[in-house]
Order: sequence, then C-alpha cells, then structure tokens
Amino acid sequence: MIRPVTLDTITEKMKEFGSVEQVRKNRIRVKTVPDKLHDAITTSQAVLGCDRLITISTVDNGETFELLYHLIGPHRIIITLALNLPRDEPVTMTSSALLPPAGIYERQIHDLFGITFTGHPGLKKILLNEDWPDNEYPLRKDWKPSPGEFYGGIKVERV
Amino acid sequence: MALPDTGMSRHLVNWARAKSPWVTVYNSGGCNACDIEIIACLMPRFDVERFGILVKGSPRHADILIVTGIPTLKQASRLRRVWEQMPEPKYVIALGACGASGGVFRGLYQVVDCVESVLPVDVYVAGCPPRPDEIINAVVTCLGLLVEDAAHGGKEWRQKKLLPGMAPGEKSPTEVS
Repeated sequence: MIRPVTLDTITEKMKEFGSVEQVRKNRIRVKTVPDKLHDAITTSQAVLGCDRLITISTVDNGETFELLYHLIGPHRIIITLALNLPRDEPVTMTSSALLPPAGIYERQIHDLFGITFTGHPGLKKILLNEDWPDNEYPLRKDWKPSPGEFYGGIKVERV
Repeated sequence: MALPDTGMSRHLVNWARAKSPWVTVYNSGGCNACDIEIIACLMPRFDVERFGILVKGSPRHADILIVTGIPTLKQASRLRRVWEQMPEPKYVIALGACGASGGVFRGLYQVVDCVESVLPVDVYVAGCPPRPDEIINAVVTCLGLLVEDAAHGGKEWRQKKLLPGMAPGEKSPTEVS
C-alpha cells in the first residue's frame, strides 16, 4: 500500500533544511542551502519515500544560479530541493553517489551553465561539440555567440 | 564489368540515371516533419517509385542527397563526410525552412548557419514542412540539372558556389585534414 504524504509531514521532516512551501497541488519546494543538500536528499529518500530523481533543472536568474532537484515517489508528490549558487563561484558538491542518474544531469549542467560539481567521477563534455571553446557556457544569460568561429572545419557566421 | 568510356556508353549511363534517380535522405538535426513528408511521397498516394525514384539507405548508391533540418555542430562534419562518399554526379536538395535557411534555429549556439555552409546546395525547397508534390518537383528539377550538366560535360558551366570564405581552387578545411 502506498503511504500518502501530506504537507504537514514534509514540513515537519524538512524544516531543519529550510523553508517549505506548496507551489502547486502536488509540488512542494524546500529552499535549502548547498551544505544541507545531501542530508535533505537522504531524508526525502528514507523518510518521505521520494526515491526517484526526475531531473535537475537550473535557472540563471541574473544574480545567482538556482539548482532545483526534483524528487518523486510512488505517492506522486514531487519534492523540489532548491538552492542558490553565487554567479562568480558556481561550485557545489556532487550528489551522484546518492542519486546515480544525477551524474549525467550534472555533466549537462556543467556543459551549459559552467557549474562545477566537486567529487564528480567524470565531469566531461556530454552535449556540446568536441571543439567547443572552454569558458563559454551557452545557456548563461550573459553569453553571446562569437561569430566567425570554426567548428569541425566549418565556419559558423551566426548572423 | 566496367563500360568502355565512349560517347555512346556515357550517353546510355546518363539516360539511365535521369530515368531512375536514386535518392538518400539525411536528417542532420531536424524535427522529422520533412522526413514524414518524404515517406508520404513513397506511400501509395504519390508513390514516386513507379517513376523510378528510389530511396536508398547508402550514400554510395545515391545520385541525390536530400538534407532535412539545420545541421547541428556535431552533425556538420558527418554530413560533409556523407556527401564526400557519394559518387559524381551528385546533387543536393536542402529541404524545408530549416535546411534552406536555418529557419527558427538560425543563430543558436548548437547549429551551423544552414546546409549551404557545409555543402554546395543545388535546389532549395521552402515550407515547414514542404508538401510531397514540392519534394517531387525538387527531385525533378535536379534531374533537369543532371541532363543539362551531362550536355555541358560537367557542373562547371553553372559556376557552382564555393563554400563561404573560400577562393576558387582552394581546398576546404575538411579536405585538407
């Protein structure tokens, strides 16, 4: 039998990690900090039954990078763990040991946003071209395409 | 068995080629709508196979390359390699708004500008996606070019466009490497 979870249960268990709010009917957001993320993931897996990672989404809101870890369980309630990273030093711990699929999402976020996940077993390129220039992250708000570059022997004008 | 390269055999080969062009389709990063319209050409309603237009899996067997979708950065060199495998005379159709001009994806971080920055294109087809009759019309236009080129002894008379930024006679970067 699937044990339902309520907002009160989640608030009681997760309030030590940050503020809890219900953003939609089956979505509950916990605003946490990078240091408490691993404990928050462990708690939502062990106590609240949210054992599956849907995705990690990233928002560049101009001042910070917001990482959102969406976790779901058999009760169909999504717990979103939100944390902010400073733009000038976007570094956080990897959660690939707790959530194995997170490693792939973290490689993608490292490609597109330039966020470094310390302790990741292989933070290589996954989406972008092999000869993509370093220190260029295309989904950052301040990124502009540089015209006239060669990619795989083909000149890209980007006009 | 190779035919002797006489005028008569060349004439025969060109006649046969214009009667039954073999086509290969390459999706270089599109949304598959153009590919579905190409499949519609092969289905009983249009059935281009009765006119001898065959879709082949291998570019080494094809006379005409149909490129659908805007080439992504990773696909650009692969698309170029597919084109280099085709035997002469070869013709390229850039299909759809994305293939012909880049469409809504032009200028994004993961794409080259259009098919023409990778290959010399002979026929452009507009539309998102183009109708099957427009695709058939493009293939027939290619056949007209093929017959004209055979009469002129090559493609040079049409002053085929070079890759952007290249002088006449210069080799492309992929050919050099």
